Amino acid sequence: MYFLTFLIKNLTRRKTRSLLTILGVAVAVGTMVTLRGISYGFESSFVESFQHRGTDIVVVAAGQADQLRSDLDEKICEQLQHIPGVKTAWPGLLEMIDITRGTSVSSALIHGWRPNTPLFDDLTLLDGRSLQKGDPHEVLLGTTLASTLNKKVGDTIEMQQEPFRVVGIFRSFNVYENGGVVIALDELQRLMDRKGRVTGFSVVLEPAEDRAGTVERVCKEIETLKDEQGRPYKIMAQESKQYVSGTLYIQLAHGMAWITSAIAAFIGAISMLNTMITSVLERIKEIGILRAMGWRKGRVVRMILGESMLLSIAGGVVGVLGAVLVTRWLATVPEVNGFVRGDVSPVIMMQGFVTALVVALVGGTYPAYRAAHWLPTEALRHE
Amino acid sequence: MSESEPLLAALRVCKVYPDGKVAALVDLSLEIARGDYVAIMGPSGSGKSTLLNLLGALDEPDRGEIRFEGKPLNAYGNLDEFRSRRIGFVFQSFHLLPTLTALENVQIPMFEGPLRAAQRAQKALELLQTVGLSHRLQHLPSRLSVGERQRVAIARALANDPPLLLADEPTGNLDTRTANDVLDLFAALHRDRGMTLVVVTHSDEVALRAERVVRIRDGRIIEDTRLCTPRTPTHEIPIIAHAQGRGPDLV
Ligand SMILES: Nc1ncnc2c1ncn2[C@@H]1O[C@H](COP(=O)(O)OP(=O)(O)OP(=O)(O)O)[C@@H](O)[C@H]1O
Ligand SMILES: [Mg+2]
Repeated sequence: MYFLTFLIKNLTRRKTRSLLTILGVAVAVGTMVTLRGISYGFESSFVESFQHRGTDIVVVAAGQADQLRSDLDEKICEQLQHIPGVKTAWPGLLEMIDITRGTSVSSALIHGWRPNTPLFDDLTLLDGRSLQKGDPHEVLLGTTLASTLNKKVGDTIEMQQEPFRVVGIFRSFNVYENGGVVIALDELQRLMDRKGRVTGFSVVLEPAEDRAGTVERVCKEIETLKDEQGRPYKIMAQESKQYVSGTLYIQLAHGMAWITSAIAAFIGAISMLNTMITSVLERIKEIGILRAMGWRKGRVVRMILGESMLLSIAGGVVGVLGAVLVTRWLATVPEVNGFVRGDVSPVIMMQGFVTALVVALVGGTYPAYRAAHWLPTEALRHE
Repeated sequence: MSESEPLLAALRVCKVYPDGKVAALVDLSLEIARGDYVAIMGPSGSGKSTLLNLLGALDEPDRGEIRFEGKPLNAYGNLDEFRSRRIGFVFQSFHLLPTLTALENVQIPMFEGPLRAAQRAQKALELLQTVGLSHRLQHLPSRLSVGERQRVAIARALANDPPLLLADEPTGNLDTRTANDVLDLFAALHRDRGMTLVVVTHSDEVALRAERVVRIRDGRIIEDTRLCTPRTPTHEIPIIAHAQGRGPDLV
C-alpha cells in the first residue's frame, strides 16, 4: 500500500464531506481564476489595441484618473505632429452612450474617430461600407453590438434622441470595439456637445534605435507643450502599456478581482479548516493507534496535510476547469461579451493552483498540529 | 550490552496522572530478560496498563526511568522511532483501522521502515500467512471474527520485526477457543523467534502460559513468581523462513 492510497482511503470514508470541501475549494479557485482572468484579459485587450495600431504614446489630460473624463483641445494634435521623432498622431473621443431599444436602454462605448485615419484600417467590414467625411447621422456598429441590438446595415439606432443610420458592421481585433459604436469625430463632438474637444491622442513614433529613450524624450516634450497664450496644457503623456495599467477601469477591475478572490480564498480556507478539524477530531483514536505503531509526529502531520492537499488539488482542478468554461461561456453572453475575452492565461491558472495549495496549508496546518500533539496514550483512551 | 543485561528494565518508576489523586505507579522496579515471557496480573486499576505503556515508550514516567538494553529510553532520541523498531503492541480491543483491509492494516507500521510499497505488501502477506489468515487478506476488520481481528493485530505488531511484544489483555475480548489460538501464537513467537513477551491479563489461564508472573497492586509489585526457567533463545528466525516453508509454521 502506498502512503497516498492510505490518504485517499481516509478521504473516501466521508465522501459527501470530501466532495463538499472539494467544491468549496473549486468555487474559491474558480472565482479567482475567472475574475482575474477577466480583469487581465481586459488589460491585455487594451494594451493590444494600442500596440496593434503602433501607438507608442498616449496623451490624455493630466490628473484625471477616469479616462472617460479626460478633456483636451483637438488642436494639440497639430503640435504633436511637429515634435521631432513623431511620425503621426491622431485624436480620439471616447464616450459612454445610451442606445434606446424600444423601451429599454443599453450602454455602449462610442468611439469618435477622424475619417481616413489609420484607425479604420484595422476594422474588417463584415457588411456595408466605412464612414466617409461629412456623413452626418451615420455610424458603424461592432459585430457584437450589432447582434445584441439585432441591427443590420440600413437600420437605424437612436442615441441621445437622435436617429443614426447603420452604414457598416465591422469586426475589430479588439473585443471592446466589437461591442461599441464608431462614429465620425465631429459628429460625436456635436452630439455630446463637446465641440473641438477630444479625450486624448495616440502618438506613433518614427522607428528609432533607442526606442525607450525616444519615448521618454517625446513624452517630456509633449508635457511641456503650451497653447497660443503661452500657458502650458495640463496634459500627461505615457507609454501606451503604462497608460493602460494606470487607467481607472483597469485598476478597478484588478482591485475588484483581487478583493473578491481574497474573500473567496479565505472562505475556502475556512471550509478546509472546518473539514480537517472535524476529521481529526473524529479520528483521535486512530491517530493514537498510528502513533502507538511507531508513526512519528511528522508522519501524522504529513497525513493530515496530505489529505488537505489532495482535497485542494482536486478543488483546484475542478475550479480552474470551471473557470475556463465559465469564461468561454461569458464571452458568448450578449450583455457582457464586449468586455470578456474567452481565454484564461496559463499564468492565472497557475495562480489558481497556488491559491488551492495555500488553502490546503492554511486549512490543514492547525488540524495537523493538533493531531500530532496528542499524547499516544491519551488518544488511545479516546472513545 | 552484556549477556546478563536485561532487555528491559523499569527503575523506580512513578506515575501520577494529572487528574489522578492516587499514584498509578509507585517506585516500581522490574527487569525483564531477553527472551522472557512475563504475565502481569493485578486487580483493575492497579496500574498494569500504565506500566505497559511506560515499558513500551507510549508514555513517560514522572520519576525513575525505563532502560532498553541498558540504555535509558531518552537516549534513543525519538521515541516514535524506538517504538516502531523495537516494540510490537497488541491491545484488548484490537485497534485495527476500520477502513483498511487486513493486508493494509498490517502494513501500517511499515511506513516508518525502509520497505517500498510492493515489499510492504509482500511482507504483510507473509505475516498474515504466519498467523494463519492467508484466506482473509482483503477483508475489512468488520468482516472478520474477533479472533481473526486479534490475529491481524498480532501480524501488525510483527511488521517491523520487533524483539519485544507488549500485549494489554489480548484475550480480554475473546472466547476460550480463540483465546487459545492467540496464546498458541504467542508461544510460537516466543519459542521460534525468541521474542520477549509481556502480557497483561486478568486470566489465570493466560498467566499460566507465561514463564513468569508479576502481580501488581496499587502501583507496586507484590509478587514475582517464576513458573519455569526461561529457555535461552538460540537464534531469531526471520519471518521469511516461515513464509517460504523453511521454518516451522506457527499455527
Ligand atoms: N489517563 C489517565 N488519566 C487519569 N487517570 C488514569 C489514566 N489512566 C489510568 N488512570 C488511573 O491510574 C490507575 C491505574 O490505571 P491502569 O489503567 O494502569 O490500571 P489497570 O491495572 O490497567 O486496570 P484495568 O485492569 O482496569 O485495565 C487507575 O486508578 C486509573 O484510574
Ligand atoms: Mg488496563
